[in-house]
Amino acid sequence: MAGCTLTGALSVACFIPGAVTVVHAPHGCAHQTFSMLHAMMNDAETKITPEIMVSGLSDKDVIFGGEGCLRQALDRAAEKKPDLIIVVTSCVPETIGDDCRAVCQEHAYAKQILYIPTSGFLGGSAKDGENSALIGLAGLAEPAEPIPGTVAIIGEKNLESEVEENYAEVTRLLHLLDLTVTVRFCRNADVATLKKLGTASCFILRDDRSSDAGRELGKKFNRRVIREFPRGLSGAITFLRETGTACGISREKIDAAVSSENAWQEKKLAGFSKLRGKSVFLGAEPLEGIFAVAREAIERIGMTESPDGVEVKPPFYLPVGVSGTMKMLYLWRRRILHG
Amino acid sequence: MDDKFCINPVWPCAMTGACSILAGFSGLCVIIHGSSGCYYYPRSLLKVPLFSTYLLESEIVFGTVNRLKEVVTEVSKTNKPIAILNTCIPALTGEDLAGAFPDGAAIFVDAPGFAGNVEEGVKIAYESLAIETNEMRDGVNIDGVSLLDLFWRGNLHEAERLLSTMGIPVVVRFAKDTYENLRKGAALHTISVNPSYTSGIGSMLGSFLFPDLKETIENLAITFPDADMDPVLDEWERADELMFYYSDKYLRKYEPPIVAVCSQESYAIFAQKIMERYFGSDVPVVLARNRNAKTIPCVTNLQEITGKIAACKPDLILGSTFEANAYPNAAFLGITPPDRSRVSISARPITGIEGGISFIEGVLNSLMDMTGRRERRP
Repeated sequence: MAGCTLTGALSVACFIPGAVTVVHAPHGCAHQTFSMLHAMMNDAETKITPEIMVSGLSDKDVIFGGEGCLRQALDRAAEKKPDLIIVVTSCVPETIGDDCRAVCQEHAYAKQILYIPTSGFLGGSAKDGENSALIGLAGLAEPAEPIPGTVAIIGEKNLESEVEENYAEVTRLLHLLDLTVTVRFCRNADVATLKKLGTASCFILRDDRSSDAGRELGKKFNRRVIREFPRGLSGAITFLRETGTACGISREKIDAAVSSENAWQEKKLAGFSKLRGKSVFLGAEPLEGIFAVAREAIERIGMTESPDGVEVKPPFYLPVGVSGTMKMLYLWRRRILHG
Repeated sequence: MDDKFCINPVWPCAMTGACSILAGFSGLCVIIHGSSGCYYYPRSLLKVPLFSTYLLESEIVFGTVNRLKEVVTEVSKTNKPIAILNTCIPALTGEDLAGAFPDGAAIFVDAPGFAGNVEEGVKIAYESLAIETNEMRDGVNIDGVSLLDLFWRGNLHEAERLLSTMGIPVVVRFAKDTYENLRKGAALHTISVNPSYTSGIGSMLGSFLFPDLKETIENLAITFPDADMDPVLDEWERADELMFYYSDKYLRKYEPPIVAVCSQESYAIFAQKIMERYFGSDVPVVLARNRNAKTIPCVTNLQEITGKIAACKPDLILGSTFEANAYPNAAFLGITPPDRSRVSISARPITGIEGGISFIEGVLNSLMDMTGRRERRP
């Protein structure tokens, strides 16, 4: 299951303070995403929901054309004098032949309008929408000299309920290398911050969902791109080595960071010593790569895997670093020790 | 054109509304003829199995009938009846989708999102189901049950309990029943647990919402002279006393709360009446979600809604967490989706006698929680 490009693009575009997003679509299309954003932000205990302006195409507009609706929505958006107006479209204007790009280009606020031609499912999947938005927004930033010790994170999943927990895990690891995140592209970063994307010395992708954008951005700014957040325990070590190297950190410093991380992992795993010797059964793999993370944890704790073992649920998402692995293990521990 | 512009629309589209009705009849396989995005939302919202054609761009260019036939053929292996729910793009391309199944292999429901909001979709779904009444079936239908409603399970249980106490059989539950039972025909008479979701089937004897219940019981007594209404009427009187007892207790300590209500018309009017009757509240904002609201204005633009709420500075918001988050200074009780303020798994009613009591209980707890929070502030 996944949403269309509109959901993907909005999940990026709605997290830019100072910008407004205009959706050229029927109300229902925008409601879907707004409702999801609302749910996710309540999960994250953040009560502020982004504003989504909708042109509100109706049954009459699909016959007579909806460009007037878009024009009017842009007028209303411009009244707020935002730093940027991001325009995304559903499949309906694409089908009825609205020339949305021309409407945006001809508008009085055109210099601060970014048109992202998402076209609902006609433009692909939510993943395509996310990548289109990231690539489109990267156009705001000019190439610049990299500032040592800085990194940018690209393509965080804003609709992921653990988004901040995953970010915290990544920054914990980066701290071991004395690296600082200067741009979260695009999560709660204003337009001025996004324009500084080119100053980061290395780009870290959330995962391969944003690989298209990662490729484009790496090429445009001539930066090394780390392809994903760390997967599980050994992924954290690999992440330290790859990111440290990409950022020009010395071998000694990287080794020290790895040593510190290994000690941290041993300390965290000690909390699961009661599971040593227990046998578990993983069942079906919900997502490629999960079993590798799960099996590594099984081995590190001293458990075994067997069809007769206690059935434990592998997570349906890739556990990020130690923190993500711990969340998986807490659920397993409850199942194994308490039924 | 101006009224179509909207900031953060708070109510789903016609397709979602139609889906909520079709999916309520177990045994009927619902195929959403559209993209994964159109499927994803009702699937996650309604939490029931649905099928989809998962249309791709190429199928729009070359026609979607073959893809639809492919999915219908696959789903028909279940030997269950099928409803095809159309979405925006196939509705725009002008293909004869209904004509593609001339042998009645599937019910075609043309409810694209741009056709309107939930209620327009509900109407289209019921019309497409071509439901007939059956005078041989004795009893009443329960109307107004929707999988989109926060209270649908509780409402259904409460209505069945009350009708059982009266000795009146339930014939068809709109829309939470088996498709097989639906096809046996509906009863000639209907009561509603939420009049904003109307099937239009059977003669309507009234609503089971607490303020309307006594009048509806009178109508039922005329239609079913052998039914025993006294136990329910006694229960209503006791509940009324109980609700006054607890609201009086609150009012001995606090001023009547100023209230803003935003929900479907039926629940909004219910909430307004209850707050006026038991608390003597001033209710300056009463807004409907449904465009066919007859007595109160419909507003689905969140910015406009929150502007009206902020202007009246309410002590209590009865609505969704859209409103609650936008105006966090007030106490809140969720009466329309979404309600992200609490984990809510049990079958809570808002209709019937228990629904009235439960509502007062929720209001009092929300007001007291807010008072406590204000008192704890430094």
